[in-house]
Amino acid sequence: MKNIFRDPRKSLAAKLIIAIGLLMVVGSFIFWFSILHKQEKDIMSIAVNYGGSFIDYVKRRTSFSMLTDHRAVIQQTLEDISMAEGVERVRIFDHDGNISYSTDRPSVGSSVDRDTLACRGCHVEAKSDFQLLSERKTWSVYKDSLGFTALKLVEPIRNEITCYTSDCHVHPQEQKILGFIEADMSLALLDKAKFKQGLALTAYVLVFFLAISVALGIILWKIVSKPVTELTLGMGKVAEGDFNYSVPIKSMDEIGVLTSTFNSMIKDIKAARDQRELWTQTLEAEIAKQTEEIQKTHASLLQTEKLASLGRMAAGVAHEINNPLTGVVTFSHLMLQRVPPDSLDAEDLKVIIEQADRCSKIIRNLLTFSRATPSEKGEINVNNVLSRTIYMVKNQEKFHNIKFNTSIDDTQFISDGDPSQFQQICLNMFLNAADAMNGRGEITVATRKITENGKNYVETEFTDTGSGIKQEDMEKLFEPFFTTKPVDKGTGLGLSVSHGIVKHLGGEIKVSSTVGKGTSFFVRLPLKEQRT
Amino acid sequence: MKKILVIDDEHIVRVSCQRTLTPEGFEVIIASSGSEGLELLEKGPVDLVLLDLKMPDMDGVEVLNEIKAKWPDTNVMMVTGYSSVETAVKTLKLGALNYIEKPFTPETLLTAVNEVFKS
Repeated sequence: MKNIFRDPRKSLAAKLIIAIGLLMVVGSFIFWFSILHKQEKDIMSIAVNYGGSFIDYVKRRTSFSMLTDHRAVIQQTLEDISMAEGVERVRIFDHDGNISYSTDRPSVGSSVDRDTLACRGCHVEAKSDFQLLSERKTWSVYKDSLGFTALKLVEPIRNEITCYTSDCHVHPQEQKILGFIEADMSLALLDKAKFKQGLALTAYVLVFFLAISVALGIILWKIVSKPVTELTLGMGKVAEGDFNYSVPIKSMDEIGVLTSTFNSMIKDIKAARDQRELWTQTLEAEIAKQTEEIQKTHASLLQTEKLASLGRMAAGVAHEINNPLTGVVTFSHLMLQRVPPDSLDAEDLKVIIEQADRCSKIIRNLLTFSRATPSEKGEINVNNVLSRTIYMVKNQEKFHNIKFNTSIDDTQFISDGDPSQFQQICLNMFLNAADAMNGRGEITVATRKITENGKNYVETEFTDTGSGIKQEDMEKLFEPFFTTKPVDKGTGLGLSVSHGIVKHLGGEIKVSSTVGKGTSFFVRLPLKEQRT
Repeated sequence: MKKILVIDDEHIVRVSCQRTLTPEGFEVIIASSGSEGLELLEKGPVDLVLLDLKMPDMDGVEVLNEIKAKWPDTNVMMVTGYSSVETAVKTLKLGALNYIEKPFTPETLLTAVNEVFKS
């Protein structure tokens, strides 16, 4: 309640109470005034009624004395009557205003004031006898010398047969009005009663007003001020960042609806904020992922660059070696023709020729790696080449204890390139797998279409159950001359050559390996078309 | 006797050709550069030119163009390292008859040369 009136300009309830209070004050006043006014009117009407009866009574009491012309009796009767409480004065005077009888005996014989009710009640002008008012006024109210309300009543005494036929012959027959009876009556008692009633009424109105105000205040506090304060508190909490706060809803009125709207708005804001936080987190994760990818690409680019420069170097070296090698090959052959076929010299020369051949092969591979080798323009039918190669290696002794799991269907994956080069890659994969498994195990071969960055590739998977590749060897896998095989078993060129070919064709080779379990190579070539 | 001109900047290659072809009844003359080879051709016609592709001053393609411009009927066979086979194939279109790859065996060289003279 205190809150309401602390600053009325800021309180809705205070404004309402003040407005309603003002209306009630005005309403109460009108009510109070109307009641008092009506009461006064009613009292006056009753007083006039009783006054009339009183004058009638005076008329009847003096009637006989009038007819018998006993003037002293009339005077005495008036004086007796005036003893009654509330009767101030009674006088009888003729049409000309000469006072014939009065409770105030000294005034007998004098004239009444022309402005008195007896004259002005009928006549427009006090001196004109002929101009009459349309409506006769028989009573008036005034304040007496003590300040109380007093009632003055006037009743004409009309000429009757008994009057003008009386023995005294005081009044002629032509005279219409013989005189007037005038009575002044004090309404002091009524004044007092009226004052008390007014006081009581005022007290009632005030109590009613106060009671209504208090009740209204409490009701407004309960249904407006308190919920609004709670809502304001809730808004404050939300402004401080507490989005879990919910303002209790206690009613179904407009404030209840406002509160519920506010609550749902906070819920929405909270949801939006949570969503935003989620997005931020997602974005951060995305950025981290992108960064990692960029780093990977960077590392891959470095690796490619390294391999490319190695390739250029290898090509240069290979080309230079070809010339001396031509000499070695030519002269050892020429010598072989000169020595006896079965001699020791012939055997030695054969070794020289064999080793020169080996050099020649290494150089060919090196040049393939550096992409300097010629390639036939053509189409690689991936599944065809694979099937042919598998058929070819299966009959080799090296693969007798190896089981091939092939999942290759009739789909024809076509890629641009030299089929013999792709066969070389497949062969190399199978030889590596056989070596990794020591000639015993399973090789899984599968082909599939994949899409990456909007481009279609045909992916060939070669999975073995071999020893796997150590993490530290992974980086060097495609470098020329890197091998884990015994010196006379591998040149370390197989994978680098495969890498060179695949890169040249716009594809890539991916590896995944677990030491002790096996290795999977994925050779991806751009897919030109797919025939079924 | 068929006359063969070998143009190669590598001494060992020139000698290898000489030693392979001379015993087989060919007259072999040698030049260590493209310009030297063209000078020799000015002196008199030959039946076949064995031309290396990769040489320091004039490369094989330039020499081939020169020969084909001046002596269109001269047979030319390219000798190449593995790395320049694509270029060698290109030279076939420019008028070379054939090409052999280094390192070649005496047998390979003889077969290729005999092939030229057979046709």
